[in-house]
Amino acid sequence: MRSTARFPFYLGALLAAVTLATAWEGTTVAAQQRAAAPAAKAPRTAWGAPDLQGLWNTNTALPFERPRDFGTRAMMTEAEHAKALADLQERNQRPGRDSREVGGKPGVGTEKDVARAYNEFWFGDKPTRLSYRTSMITDPPDGRMPAYTPEAAKRIADKREFLAALLQGTSGGKPGPISPRRAERSPDYNLDRINRTDGPEDRGGPERCLGDNLPVTMGTGTFGGVMQLVQSPDSVSIYYDVGQGQGFAWVIPITNRPHVPKSLQLYHGDAIGRWDGDTLVVDVTNFSDETNFRGARENLHLVQRFRRVDANTLQVEFTAEDPTTWVRPWTAVQDLERADEKTTLVLEGGCHEGNYGLLGMLLNTRAAEKAFAEGKGPDPATQDNATGGGGDN
Amino acid sequence: MRTRFGVSALAVGIIVTLCVVSLAVIAGQVSSPGPAAARQTAPAPAGQIARQASGKPDFSGIWQANNTANWDLVTHEAMPARVMQAGVHELSPVPAAPLLALGAVGGVPPGLGVVEGGVIPYKADALQKKKDNFDHWLDRDPEIKCYQPGVPRAMYMPYPFQILHGSNKIMMVFEYANAQRTIHLDQVEPYPNDSWMGHSVGRWDGDTLVVDVTSQIDKTWFDRAGDFHSDALHVVERYRMLSRDAIWYEATIEDANVFTRPWTIAMPLYRRLEPNAQLMDYRCIEMVEELLYGHLRKQPLVRTWEGQTMTVSVERKVPPPDVLYER
Repeated sequence: MRSTARFPFYLGALLAAVTLATAWEGTTVAAQQRAAAPAAKAPRTAWGAPDLQGLWNTNTALPFERPRDFGTRAMMTEAEHAKALADLQERNQRPGRDSREVGGKPGVGTEKDVARAYNEFWFGDKPTRLSYRTSMITDPPDGRMPAYTPEAAKRIADKREFLAALLQGTSGGKPGPISPRRAERSPDYNLDRINRTDGPEDRGGPERCLGDNLPVTMGTGTFGGVMQLVQSPDSVSIYYDVGQGQGFAWVIPITNRPHVPKSLQLYHGDAIGRWDGDTLVVDVTNFSDETNFRGARENLHLVQRFRRVDANTLQVEFTAEDPTTWVRPWTAVQDLERADEKTTLVLEGGCHEGNYGLLGMLLNTRAAEKAFAEGKGPDPATQDNATGGGGDN
Repeated sequence: MRTRFGVSALAVGIIVTLCVVSLAVIAGQVSSPGPAAARQTAPAPAGQIARQASGKPDFSGIWQANNTANWDLVTHEAMPARVMQAGVHELSPVPAAPLLALGAVGGVPPGLGVVEGGVIPYKADALQKKKDNFDHWLDRDPEIKCYQPGVPRAMYMPYPFQILHGSNKIMMVFEYANAQRTIHLDQVEPYPNDSWMGHSVGRWDGDTLVVDVTSQIDKTWFDRAGDFHSDALHVVERYRMLSRDAIWYEATIEDANVFTRPWTIAMPLYRRLEPNAQLMDYRCIEMVEELLYGHLRKQPLVRTWEGQTMTVSVERKVPPPDVLYER
């Protein structure tokens, strides 16, 4: 019985896997060339600022980290690109459901396959165009995340051990007895899917409608979407319609004021924007310890750069730095295609207002505990409600 | 028992079940002149307000209402709490238990109303529902649950909001709950569904921005007094610069299911003039998790839950200086 597992976000890992296997995004050689030589006169607003406004499609199949076969090559060759395009077109013909092997056998029709079919609705249009880029990460030169610092590695290992302990003895975990650690508090402010539903804090951030973390890196578990950018003379706002209702608004003041005091933590950080030629440069600090970006929490420092590389492409680059998490800063780039303003729907989030998922997970777990106490069902502690389909046993 | 210095702690325990809280005092729909007089204010002289290159006013900035409309749109006196229970006299009810411990900070500040003509023209059955909503405010007000406030309520909640007046869109971002709305000044498709913040389309009437708001869900309220609407709500807003630092805001509310005629609210919105004014977080989702999901915890944190009924125990240890010396 996996009564509490019917929520889409446990498929983040799957999506990341699919994305990693799908090594392209939607720009062309011509766009690459234009990117190298920006238009002589970038569009301006009526008040003379570079004009970044519009709807920008955030769906992309570009992998976040570079497949190792490419080594330090940031761009594919023509032959590689042609093959990748053919592979994509072939893959687009397949039914969308997860058809991975399960236990060494074809996964089609398995419980895991069916559980994941729900997500198909949210994936949006399949990307049909390919960039020559081999990864979003451009620095380090191998296109891979830098190593964690020893401090962060320990932090992350501690959490992994805790997650594993809660899964021990279930179909998705190591064999063994039910761990006494099930009674422990999470070692961090939990934002992961853990195999326990004692209260709302045990559920993942997106399940609690707290998935509005920066930076938004499209196509890597965020279910794609669209961003709407509106400018005024002294501020820029972005509404991210991403992640199945996790949509959120982010305001970037254009100012030369200093950052707010270090003691102040903000979920979307303290953003300070400035114009560097035609590029909007945003310095973001003061993140909250209740956010998590690939292991970084309150000490994350982001420098995000937005610029138009041609009429229909907005390039978004960020450099992430956190000496308590990574051994060096790293940089990633995405090229977002313009979306049609007339026909693209930008949808309100409303995750919290309609969060029947969290309610259902709590209700179902209490019901399962009651059934177990009455001898009518298995001990919920022996069930895997965290790995997205468990062992399909 | 007495002690020499009278310092024994006094524990006061009052246990009241929320669903029993029922006796509340409805603030009457007091007739008042309303804000109509302010509408006569002369237009701000041209050139003194921020304008766009097109010559139209630029509403960009961080703004906030400074009134009690979010408590009650109509004129109301101060109250000890939004929800009351019977006291020793019908004129002296006491705050309902969950609010009692808040003392003077849990009270309702008084205010002259913002409704033109002073009365919200409810149909008879709708007025009954409004009164029922008032009595059950703690259970029903979507603001308590951190739900997005809808329009016009978002405009006069006691939190700042930012207007970004762009080229063909105006975006408003609200500190409360990170709510946001976009006013389309260009042609867009109609919204396919009802939403919490509605679908807004703007046009110019001289220097006044007129915004048509449709597609609003029926679950938002207008204030903490139970004023409500149906999904037939149609709001027409008018924004006009009074000066560089104030907008005159009006909203005409039409809903044939609930009201006998359209009615209008009006108020100024003030620019936040602090040099360091910026939106911060009021990310209340997490704040209301115990309220919304506490009854589903494995180990309850709040004293007792019976089903979805929260029993609040108001225990207060009275500190020594407050205990009357007793011989």
